[in-house]
Amino acid sequence: MSSDAVIFEKIAVAVAFSPRCEAILAEARLLQQTFGSNMVFIHVGKNSLQEELYLKHLLHRFGLDQPENKTIWKEGDPVDVILEICQQEKIDLLVAGALEKESLLKYFMGGVSRQLSRKVKCSLLMLTEPNIHPKGLTQIVVEGTDHPKTENTIAVAVEVAKAYHAKKVNIIQESDLSKLALIRSDELKENEAGLRKKQLLKEEDEKLKEILRCTDCGNLEVKVERIEGKPGYVISKFARDCQADLLVVSSPDKQLNLLDRVFPHDIEYALSDLPCNLLIVHSKEQD
Amino acid sequence: MKTLTHNENISLILSMGLMLIIARIFGEFFRKLKMPLVVGELIAGVVLGPTLLGHFYPELSELVFTKNINASYALGGIINVSVIMLLFVAGMELDLSLIRQQGKAAFTTSSLGLVIPLGFGFVAAYYFTPYFGENSSDILAFSLFLGTAMSISALPVIARTLMDLGLFRTRVGSIIIASAMIDDLIGWILFSMTMGMLKGSANHSIILTLMYTLTYAVLMLTFGRILINKSLPWAEKHFSWPGGFLSISLGLAFLGAALTEYMGLHAIFGAFIVGIAFGDSVHVTEKTKDIVNQFVTNIFAPLFFVAIGFKVNFILHFNLQITLLVIGIAILGKVFGASLGAYLGGLNKKESLAVGFGMNARGAMEIILATLALQAKLIGEELFVAIIIMAVLTSVMAGPMLQWLLKSKVLQKSEK
Repeated sequence: MSSDAVIFEKIAVAVAFSPRCEAILAEARLLQQTFGSNMVFIHVGKNSLQEELYLKHLLHRFGLDQPENKTIWKEGDPVDVILEICQQEKIDLLVAGALEKESLLKYFMGGVSRQLSRKVKCSLLMLTEPNIHPKGLTQIVVEGTDHPKTENTIAVAVEVAKAYHAKKVNIIQESDLSKLALIRSDELKENEAGLRKKQLLKEEDEKLKEILRCTDCGNLEVKVERIEGKPGYVISKFARDCQADLLVVSSPDKQLNLLDRVFPHDIEYALSDLPCNLLIVHSKEQD
Repeated sequence: MKTLTHNENISLILSMGLMLIIARIFGEFFRKLKMPLVVGELIAGVVLGPTLLGHFYPELSELVFTKNINASYALGGIINVSVIMLLFVAGMELDLSLIRQQGKAAFTTSSLGLVIPLGFGFVAAYYFTPYFGENSSDILAFSLFLGTAMSISALPVIARTLMDLGLFRTRVGSIIIASAMIDDLIGWILFSMTMGMLKGSANHSIILTLMYTLTYAVLMLTFGRILINKSLPWAEKHFSWPGGFLSISLGLAFLGAALTEYMGLHAIFGAFIVGIAFGDSVHVTEKTKDIVNQFVTNIFAPLFFVAIGFKVNFILHFNLQITLLVIGIAILGKVFGASLGAYLGGLNKKESLAVGFGMNARGAMEIILATLALQAKLIGEELFVAIIIMAVLTSVMAGPMLQWLLKSKVLQKSEK
C-alpha cells in the first residue's frame, strides 16, 4: 500500500511512554508504509538509558529503525519543544495520541495534543484510538466549507483515502445561515428568503464542484452533503453519527486561545469532544 | 388579578388590531420603495398618533387609542413586553463565533467605529447641552446616552443592504457585519449602564453600574450560555418542539429582564444577553430561530414602532437645528471612526469609506434606544424626533452609498 503522490514526506511522531505508545508506533508504521515518508520520533523528557533502550526496542519491533529515520530527545515544555522540532525538521505531518474528551479543567488549560492542534504549523493527526494492529481507514469525513484552504484539504483527504483504500469520502458543506437570519428578521417574504438562501449557497456549490472537478478521486466514492448548523459542530456530529474513522479539517486561520474555548467555533467544537481520529491539514501555501 | 371592563377590552383589542393592520400596510408600502419595514411602521404611528389623526380628528383618535385609561395601561404593558422580546431577538442574531473569527480589520473598525462617534456624541452633549434643547440635571448620563446613540449600528439593515449588493460574503461585508455586532453588544452594555446611573431609577454610581452590568453579562455569557446549551437537548427530548423552545427561551428572556431591572439596569439588557446565550447554542436551528423571529418581528415589533408615533407630535417637536446637529454628529462620527478603523485594518480608501457608510445605518435599534431614553425622561421630545429622523436617514442612505463606493465590486459580482 503506497501513495503515488507523496503528501507527507516527513512525519514526526510525539512519543510519550504511555500505555498507548505501542499502538501509536504501530499506526506510525502504517503511515510510513503508506506514504513512504521519513520519520522523526520526538520524546520530550530526560534521556535515561532504560527509556532509550525501550524506545529502540519498540522502533525495531515495528520496523521503524531504518537509518533515514531519526529520534530526538529533548527536555523542556512538551508543546514548545515539539513545535520547535517540527519547524527545524520541516515536518509535514505530526502524529500524536489524543483522548476523545479531556476533563473540563484540562480542556480549558489545554492538554499537549490539543495545544499542538492550536499552534502547530504543519498538518497534525490526532489519534483517538490507535490500534496495535491498525485497521486502516474505511470512511473519511472532510470539511467542504467555502474557504481558500478547502481545495488543499480536500486534495489531501482524497490522497489519504486513496492511499488507505478507503471506501467512502463524505464531503460536508456546513451552512451557517445565521447571517441570513439577519436579513430575514428585517422583511423578507418566504419565497424571497428562499431565493436569498439559494443565492448564498449556489456560489458555494459551484466552487466545490470546481474543486472536485480538478481533484483526481480515482474509484473513490465521494459524497457531498450539505448540513445546516454551526460550522465545526455539525461536521463533528456527522462524523460521530456515521462512525467515521477520520475527520479531515483545515487548520485554523489564526492561533486559537482560551477565549476560543470559552466561545467555541469551528475546530474547537471537534477538539472539545473528538468524534474520531482528526487530521488537521495545514496548507503550506497559506504560510 | 384585576380585569378590564367590557368596553376597555374592546378598546384594547381594537387598538391592537388597527395598529397591526395599518403598520403592515404602511410597512409594505415602504418596503416597495426599498426602505426598511420599520420606516413604514413608524410613519403609521405618526399618522395614527397626535401628529396627524390626533391633530385633525382628535375625537376619533381618542376614541380608538386613548379614551380608556386602563386599556392604555394594558397597551403600554404589552408594548413594554414587546421591546423586551425585540431585544431578545436582536441578541439571538448576534454571532459570538463570527466576532471571534474576525481579525485585525474588524477589531480596529469596531473599536474606532465605536469610540469616535461615542466621543463625538459625549463631548457634544457634555459641553453643548443647551444646543440639544436639553437642560438635563444628569449631564453625565445624558452625555453617555447621546454618545451611545451615535455609536450603535443596525445589523438587519446592514445585512440586507450587503445582500442586495451581492457583497455579503466579501471581506468588506464580513468586516461590516462583525464590527456592527461588536458595536451593538458594547452599545447595549453602555446604554444599560446609562439607565442604571439615572437619578430617579436605580441611581447607582458609575462603578457599581459597570460592575453589575459586567457581572451579569460575563456570568450569563459563560455559565448561563453553557447551561442553556447543555439543557436544550434534554428539553427538546421531553417538550414539544419548537413550541417548547418558544416558551423556554422567551420565559428565560423575561426572567433575565426582570433580574436586570431589579439590579437597576434596564430590563432590555437582561433579555438581550439571554438572547445571545440562546443564539449561540449549537442546538438551536435556524428554523427554530426563524419561528421566534417571525413571531416577535411581525406581531410585537409593529406594536412597539407604531406606539412611538403615539408618544410625540413629530411636527410640533421638530427642531431643525437639533435635527441637523444630531445628523451631522452621527454621520461624521460613525463614518469617520469606522472608515479610519477599516483603513488601519488594511482596507483601501474606498473600501474603508464603504465600511464607514455601511456601519452608519442605525435602523430599529436606534429607535428603540431613543424611545427608552424618552420614556426614562433622559431626553426631550425634540431630541427624540431628531434621533428618529437620523435613524431613518442613515438607514436609507446606507444602500446607495455602499453601491456608489463599491461600484466596481458590485459590477464584478453581477457579471459573474
